[in-house]
Amino acid sequence: MRLALPTFDRPSLLAAGSILVILLAGSAYTLSMGGAATFLTPGYLLQQLQIASFLGLIAGGLMMVILLGHIDLSVPWTLTTAAVMATAVGGPAAIPLALAIGCAVGVVNGLGVAYLRVPSMIFTLGVNTVLQGLMVLHTGGYAPQSQATPLMAFLATGRVLGLPAAVLVWIAVSAVLVVILTRTPLGRAIYAVGNREAAAYLSGIGTNAVVITCFALCGICAALAGCMLAGYSAKAYQGMGNAYLLPAIAAVVIGGTHVLGGRGTYTGTVLGTILIVLLQSVLSVMQMPDAGRQIIYGLVIIAMLLAFRRAGGTEG
Amino acid sequence: MTSIAPPLLGLSAVSKRYGGVHALRGVDLEGRAGSIHAVLGENGAGKSTLMKIVAGVVRPDEGQIRIDGRPVAFASPKDAAAQGIACIFQELSLVPDLSIADNISITNPPRRFGLIDRRAQRRRAEELLARVGCEDIHPLSLVKDLPLSRRQMVEIAKALGRDPRILILDEGTSALTGGDVERIYAIVRRLRDEGVLLLYISHRMNEIRDLADRCSVFRNGAHVETFDTDARSDDEIVRMMVGRDIHTVFPPKRAEARAGAPVLEVRGLTWAERLRDVSFALHPGEIVGLGGLEGQGQRELLLALFGVLRGVEGEVLVDGVPRRISGPGQAKSTPIGMALIPEDRKTEGLMLPMSVADNVTAASLSRLRRGPFIDAEAERRSVERMVERLRIKVDDVRRPVSTLSGGNQQKVVIAKWLLNEPRIVLMNDPTRGIDVGTKQEIYQLLRDLADAGAAVLLFSTDYAELIGCCDRVLMLYEGRVVRVLEGGEIDEMNLVAGAFDLSLAAPPAAAGAADGGRAHVDGARSDAARVDARGSHV
Repeated sequence: MRLALPTFDRPSLLAAGSILVILLAGSAYTLSMGGAATFLTPGYLLQQLQIASFLGLIAGGLMMVILLGHIDLSVPWTLTTAAVMATAVGGPAAIPLALAIGCAVGVVNGLGVAYLRVPSMIFTLGVNTVLQGLMVLHTGGYAPQSQATPLMAFLATGRVLGLPAAVLVWIAVSAVLVVILTRTPLGRAIYAVGNREAAAYLSGIGTNAVVITCFALCGICAALAGCMLAGYSAKAYQGMGNAYLLPAIAAVVIGGTHVLGGRGTYTGTVLGTILIVLLQSVLSVMQMPDAGRQIIYGLVIIAMLLAFRRAGGTEG
Repeated sequence: MTSIAPPLLGLSAVSKRYGGVHALRGVDLEGRAGSIHAVLGENGAGKSTLMKIVAGVVRPDEGQIRIDGRPVAFASPKDAAAQGIACIFQELSLVPDLSIADNISITNPPRRFGLIDRRAQRRRAEELLARVGCEDIHPLSLVKDLPLSRRQMVEIAKALGRDPRILILDEGTSALTGGDVERIYAIVRRLRDEGVLLLYISHRMNEIRDLADRCSVFRNGAHVETFDTDARSDDEIVRMMVGRDIHTVFPPKRAEARAGAPVLEVRGLTWAERLRDVSFALHPGEIVGLGGLEGQGQRELLLALFGVLRGVEGEVLVDGVPRRISGPGQAKSTPIGMALIPEDRKTEGLMLPMSVADNVTAASLSRLRRGPFIDAEAERRSVERMVERLRIKVDDVRRPVSTLSGGNQQKVVIAKWLLNEPRIVLMNDPTRGIDVGTKQEIYQLLRDLADAGAAVLLFSTDYAELIGCCDRVLMLYEGRVVRVLEGGEIDEMNLVAGAFDLSLAAPPAAAGAADGGRAHVDGARSDAARVDARGSHV
C-alpha cells in the first residue's frame, strides 16, 4: 500500500493505454477530415487537463469514501450548495465558507454512516435531497447574488506561468491526498477499514473517526470543485453539480479502485479522470450526436470495467 | 491390502503447484469404502489442497483421480458432487442471513410448480437435523443466531443431505463443544458402517485414535505413509508429521508463586445475561486460563475487558486505578496496554488482502509515527523484527497475508499485538485449527511473554492446552466463575467437572474449590449444560 503512487498497477496501465488509444483515434479522425492532429497539440491537452481538474477534484475526494467501501451520493448538491452559498456571500470569505460547508456536509454524512449505521448509499442520497430542498428555499423567494468572485474565476480559468491554475489546484490537492494515503496512519487506516472493518476496529483503529474524516475530505473536495466550476461559468446555479456524480464514480472505479473498498491507487483515479474527460471531448469533436455519445460513453465504461476485472483478477 | 474390487477413491501421482511452490507432489492415495481415513500433517503439508482436489474445487496439474477404478476429471465442485463427494470445510459455507432449512437445501431445494416447496424443505431439514442428533435446532431459525458449534452441526446435516459416498471433514470438530463432538463421532461411525468413505482431517490425536481406521500422513506436500491407526504410536505419528522429535509440547511453568500487585483486577463484571458478577485478578508473569464449555461467557468476558461491549457493569482496575475502557483504541494504548487475539483470525484478526507488513503494523501505527507521517524505516525494522521473532514463514512481507498458511496467519495476528508491547494479553482460542509445530511455538511465546512480565488471559477449548500452559484456570459456567483451579489441581478430571459445575466425589484439593463458592452438585443445571447452554438461547 505504501507504493500506492509510484507503482502502476494493471488497471492504471490499462487506463493509460486507453487514453493513448482515444487520442490516436481522435487524431486519425481529424487528419482524415483534412485537418491537423489537433488532439496532440499542447494547447488542446492543457485545455483538457483544465477541464479534467474539476472532475479530478471530485473523484479524488470520492475515492477516499469508496476506499472505505462506502459511497457519497450527496456530491452533486454538496458542490452546488457550497458554490451557491459562497457566491451569495462573496468577497474573501466565499471560498473558506464553501469549504466549511463541504466539510460540514461530509461530517454529517460520516456521522450518519459511522454512528447511526445507515448504509451510505441511502444516507448520502437523503442528504443530497435535503440539500437540494434547502437550496430551493434559499433561492426561491428572492434572487441572491450568484456572481463568482474574482478568486474563483482565477482558480478556474487563470494561468500561472502558462499553466492553467485549475490544474495546479488539482495537483496540490492530489499531492495532499497521495501523502495521506501513502504516508500517514490515516491512509493505512483507510485501507484497513475498507478491507475488514471488524479487524481494523479490534486493532484499535478509530474506525468511526476514519469514516467521518473521509466523508469530510470528500465534501471539502466537492466544495472546492463547486467554487471552481462557479468561477469557470462565472456564476453558481441550481443543479450545477448534477452532471458530475456518475463520471466521478466511473473515474474512480475505472482507475482500479475496488467498489467494495480496500484496494485502489490514486494514480488510477487520476488516469480514470483524464480518460473520461478525453472520451467526452473526442466524441463531441467528432460531432457525434448526443444520443450516440451517451451510448458510446456508457459502453466504454462497461468495457473498461470488464477488461479491468480480467486484468486485475478479483476476489470477493 | 489387496482387495479384488478397486478402491472407492484412488489418486495416483497427483501434483499441484501454486507459483513456484509445490503444494502437492506425486501423491498416491487409496481410500476404501466403509472406512474412516484420517489425513494428518502440519498446516501447509498439503492436506487442504488434497481435499480441494478431491472435492473438485481445485484441479491438479498432473496425475489422476479414480472413483471405483474409473478415471474422473472434475471441472467444478458440482461434478464432484454428482459423483457423491461432499465436503465440510474449515471455513463454514453457510449463509448467515438465511434460515437453516434454506441453507440445508441451498443447492437443490425441493420444488413444486417451479417454486421452492417450503414445507418439504422444512421437513427435509428436520429429518437431517434429527439424523445428526440436533432435534433441538429449529429449522426456521437463522444461521447467524446459532453459536459456532451448532453451525458446524448444520453444516454436517447439509452435507448428509447429498447422500455422499465420500465425505470430507476438514477440521470437522474444531468448532464443536462437548456434546456435539459425541454426536459427530456417532454419525461418522454410522456412515462408515453404511459404506461411506470418510476423509477426516484433524489436529486432535485422541480423536483420530477414537475414530480412524486408517491414517495417511503428509509432510511438505508429499505422502509419507499410510497405515492402520493402531499400528503406530502417537510419538511415531507426530514424528512423521513434523520430521523431528517433540519432547515436551509445553514449556515448563513458572516455579515461584505470583508476586506483587495485580496488573488487572476485575470486580463484579456483569453484562446482559452472559456475564454475572465475574471477579478475579491477573498478576504480571502469570498465565490464567478460562475454562468451561464453549459459550459460557468466556468470549464475552474477553470482549468486555477490551471495551468492545456496551453496557458492561462492574469495575475494572488496571494497576489499581479504576478504568472505563471505551474501546480497543483506548484498551491498547498507555497506560492500559491491552491486546486481544480474537476468535476468528480471518474476519476479526486480519485484513486478508493487505500485506503481511501492513497487518503487522496495524495496531501500532501511532508508535511508528514521526510527525504526521509513518516512519518507513522504523516500520520496516519493526516488521522484520516481528517476522524473525515469531518465525513467520514469508519470503516477502509485501505479500498479501491471505497467501499464508493458517498457522502463519495466526502468527501475524500475534505479531501485530506484540509489536505494541502489551502488558495484558487476552487470547481467544489462539491455536484453533493450527498445526502442532506452530502450537508449540505459540505456547513457548506465551510463557516468554509472561516471563517478561506480561499477564496472559487465555481462553481455550482444548483442555490439554489449559493443563499444559496455565498457572491458574477460572472455570466459567453460565457467565459465572464457578471454580478456580490452581497448580496441581489443573487436570482433566477437574476441568471436566468444573465445566459442568460439578464437584468430584473425592476432590483432590477441596480447598481450592471453595474459591468459586458454588461447587455443589446441581443436577438440573448440569443436565442443561450437557444439552449445550448456548443452543437453548436460539
